[in-house]
Amino acid sequence: MPKLTVNGKEVEVPAGTNLIEAARSAGVEVPHYCYHPGLSIAGQCRLCMVDIEKTPRPTIACNTVAADGMVVLTETDRVRETRKSIMEFHLINHPLDCPVCDQAGECWLQIYYMKYGLYDPRMTDEKVHKPKAVPLGPHVILDAERCILCSRCVRFCDEITGTGELGIFERGDHSEIGLFPGAELDNKYSGNVVDICPVGALTDRDFRFQVRVWYLETAKSVCPGCARGCNIEVHVNRRRPHHAEGRRVARLKPRFNADVNQWWICDAGRYGFGSVDAKDRLLVPTRRDGETTSDATWDEAIAAVAAAVRRFPPDEVGVIASPRMSNEDLVALRRLLDICTIQRVAFGVPPRVPGDEDDILIRADKSPNAQGAELMGLAGDARAILGAACGRRLKCLWIFGHDLLASAWPEAEVREALDGAEMVIFTGTNSNPTSERAHWVLPAAAWVERDGTYTNFEGRVQRFRQAVEPLGQALAEWEMLGRVLAALGEAPSATRAEHWFRRLATAGPSFAGLSYQALGDTGRLVAGSVAARAPR
Amino acid sequence: MSETDGAPSTSNRTPAAHAGLSDPATTVFSAAQLTEVRRLQSLYPDPRGALLPVLYMAQETFGWISLEVEEYVAGLFSLSPAHVHEVVTFYTLYFRERPGRHVVSVCHNLSCHLAGAPGIIAHLKRRLGVDPGETTEDGRVTLLSVECLCACEAAPMMQVDDRYELNLTPTTVDRILEGLA
Amino acid sequence: MTGETILTRNFARSDSHTLRAYVETGGYQAWAKAQAMEPAAIVEEVKAANLRGLGGAGFPTGIKWSFIPKNHAGPVYLVINADEGEPGTFKDRYLLERDPHALVEGMLIAARAIRSATAYVYVRGEYVEPWRRFSAAVAEAYAAQHLGRGFDIVVHRGAGAYICGEETGLISSLEGKKGWPKLKPPFPAIKGAFGAPTIVNNVETICHVPHIITRGAAWFAALGTKTQGGTRMYSVSGRVARPGVYEAPVGITLRQLIYERAGGVTGNGRLKAVVPGGSSAAILTADEIDVTMDVDGLKNAGTMAGSAGVIVMDETVSIPEALMVVARFYAHESCGQCTPCRESTGWIYKMTRRIVEGRGRKDDLDTILDVAKRGAGTTICAFYDGAVGPYISYIEKFRGEFEALIPHA
Repeated sequence: MPKLTVNGKEVEVPAGTNLIEAARSAGVEVPHYCYHPGLSIAGQCRLCMVDIEKTPRPTIACNTVAADGMVVLTETDRVRETRKSIMEFHLINHPLDCPVCDQAGECWLQIYYMKYGLYDPRMTDEKVHKPKAVPLGPHVILDAERCILCSRCVRFCDEITGTGELGIFERGDHSEIGLFPGAELDNKYSGNVVDICPVGALTDRDFRFQVRVWYLETAKSVCPGCARGCNIEVHVNRRRPHHAEGRRVARLKPRFNADVNQWWICDAGRYGFGSVDAKDRLLVPTRRDGETTSDATWDEAIAAVAAAVRRFPPDEVGVIASPRMSNEDLVALRRLLDICTIQRVAFGVPPRVPGDEDDILIRADKSPNAQGAELMGLAGDARAILGAACGRRLKCLWIFGHDLLASAWPEAEVREALDGAEMVIFTGTNSNPTSERAHWVLPAAAWVERDGTYTNFEGRVQRFRQAVEPLGQALAEWEMLGRVLAALGEAPSATRAEHWFRRLATAGPSFAGLSYQALGDTGRLVAGSVAARAPR
Repeated sequence: MSETDGAPSTSNRTPAAHAGLSDPATTVFSAAQLTEVRRLQSLYPDPRGALLPVLYMAQETFGWISLEVEEYVAGLFSLSPAHVHEVVTFYTLYFRERPGRHVVSVCHNLSCHLAGAPGIIAHLKRRLGVDPGETTEDGRVTLLSVECLCACEAAPMMQVDDRYELNLTPTTVDRILEGLA
Repeated sequence: MTGETILTRNFARSDSHTLRAYVETGGYQAWAKAQAMEPAAIVEEVKAANLRGLGGAGFPTGIKWSFIPKNHAGPVYLVINADEGEPGTFKDRYLLERDPHALVEGMLIAARAIRSATAYVYVRGEYVEPWRRFSAAVAEAYAAQHLGRGFDIVVHRGAGAYICGEETGLISSLEGKKGWPKLKPPFPAIKGAFGAPTIVNNVETICHVPHIITRGAAWFAALGTKTQGGTRMYSVSGRVARPGVYEAPVGITLRQLIYERAGGVTGNGRLKAVVPGGSSAAILTADEIDVTMDVDGLKNAGTMAGSAGVIVMDETVSIPEALMVVARFYAHESCGQCTPCRESTGWIYKMTRRIVEGRGRKDDLDTILDVAKRGAGTTICAFYDGAVGPYISYIEKFRGEFEALIPHA
């Protein structure tokens, strides 16, 4: 492990570490554009110049491997002058259209100009003109004039997805990134090129012009789109509610987790948050009596549910839990099932179309917490529960989230089961054909509206945090289950998701020793999990 | 050149790009040429080394490098068409539009400039009625103004197809043009 | 100082490109001798000869060869840079057309020295006749079984890009990519063409090798200066009476080359300036031509020997116009990979064009100088430094001429 000093601070780094990373580990930022830790070294932007003792001129840090005894200086006069020059070169043909650029506020040209540029512009000649506002695919739009040709997007498509859609065409100052004419940037990870584009060249068609980034607030979260549990940031717009037609969640961005998703997320996850602010959100508890549906108070709803589980013998009650529920929800449910001695429980409902999977991030299982449900002993035969309802052996059916009518099960059979049960309770965030047939509908808070944890396919327990208030009267499942438990006589104890997690941590071996604090931002593996291979 | 474009992969081209299409049905090498492609690929530890030579073959065969040709060649190398497009647009000797029957490339670099290249180019523009980068209406000549061809001892000079024409004067230029069918 | 010609000795023969003519004048005897030598001994001989790269960089050839890892198990490639493109240079065209077997024989010896079984000769795409001549020579050498017995030559045509004359740009192009130069490290001798250790040598450099083997390093070294042996082929063009290729010992002065070889300035005009080593070399004024034309002589004069392309300018030449032509070239040929070069070359061309067209601004000259100086040394390859040479020297040495074109300067 080579030991070197960066601006006088000694650090020891693994062999092969480059000087950008070595400096980072010493708490020193070396400005750069083309370097990205997840991609090959391009050395094109020339911004990451540093001084290395005994070398005649500043050297790029990205392509220099830390060596023992190296003395690296990142803030010498000549490094600062070089940086300033490189900034000027980058901006020679840049349109300087920040006021109308969606990247403004999170643009590294802006950030580094303010930090290291601050020269008087002297380029007064006509700039090179290139294509503008070119849709590259369903999610990404290109402004080639803003592009600084760092080639990150090209390398992403070559090295991460292996799809090779993008190239840098022509040469000299006419060089431009683009697609083969007629082709589309339509791979399953295309949105990542927007994230790694350091400037306003590649922007997100979905997010563009919706809200200025400085109005956004962020919360650390986990993508609920599949069993991978990619770490994300939820960006919400609370300060300009009149923008974006009132949609609160503005976008999702990947959050680095070396063991889960590294720097990336898939497009399905990235753009899969539409249900949160959708028109079909369930906002208040409702009861259906025949054809009449009416709003109810939570007290009425909780009383009705408590009465049902008390009234029906345990073997006449079936619960189809959801692998989309958090560990906290599931442990609350587990408690309810235990005190009511309800045996008929399951969580797996087969999808009509099997999920897609690849060897990058995407998992066929499109739920975030099947592993958690499994560990809490909720795996059962859902089809058998359905069958029992059809055969009228089951009187009360409680469904969490699933639209059974959209599952792989025959629709007629599902209908018969829903019609056959005397009491159908549905808990979920959005209405669906199944919820429409329930007698009681309990509105659940969406994952961005509450705290919780998911256990991913390899047993990693990861926290997601509340980003916005629940819509309407929606409650987290653990909270409504807690109220049912209270109605059944259990002393109320959990006022936060974390309380349920603490109970989980003491309930069995899997989660033993875990706590929100221990999970941190990147999660921890449950005991006995096989740490699956890292993503590519 | 056919107007039809049956290849599904090209169906959503912009009209501008579409106008430059060759007939995809004819964008195919013969069996003997494919054997030659494989031979060329075998000369390099990575078959991709043969990309430039195969693009030359394609240009000789199809007259120019259309987008169809790029896609076809990409297929021969299992490369993404974008990467072939990068290569074709980087080099000056691949024609991205059908050139005239003859290509006249006049050197405009320093030694030729000192020896009167601007006058030679002006003369050619007048005689051909086109600017550099353009092809005469009859499709006879494409005129190009190019960087140093490294025959500075015989400036001003130009390349006419494969030949270097040296020590040009307006008179010799006229004689050379007359020889181009 | 006319001296003996080595590389050009057969140029007068109309059949000099044939195997027969080459063998008649002693060809392939050096290869016969080299086959009895240990590879390391060949490297040592070339080192002792003080042979320096004649493509542009002037790096000592034997030392370059010695960078190949000693115990490398996989393939090692010899790559010949016949991508002649430096404005003002045309010597390799002569060698390929008139003495292609000298290159083949030099390659056989060089390949033995670096233990290479395969060589690629990268000929610039526009050089159709040189490519045909050289390919014919390779075919003859195969027929004569000089090639194909443990050593093969693949002739590869470029496709029109000056940057492919840069050795790692050439390697990228040979690999079927854009001619983008590669980051160093790793250097080609460690990781070059197709990821294997590779030596890239210029045509003329390699053509010297058979003579070094035949006549010995001491003889070759003695032809030149203390730090550079031998002769080299000077391409002389521009405003001279007899433009052409002149082979001379590297100690010849620029004055001798112009006045004793090339017949002096056209029409007995007055010399104004000379580009001594291809367009990337800093320009010299008429007062600065008493320099020796070896690598270090020109380096000490603040310019470079480069490819030894000598472009002569007399009093009729407008230096600002010449710079505009040169700036257009660098803007056109910048590969676009790294930012300082990609963005500055185009901008500087725009400024020089404005100046020549009478639309210059008071600050333009200082801006060009400042931009050029700031960008120098910040790029992946030497291309931009090559552009900076003329940008700075033309303006600094002929500033008055530029200012005369700028309104209110």
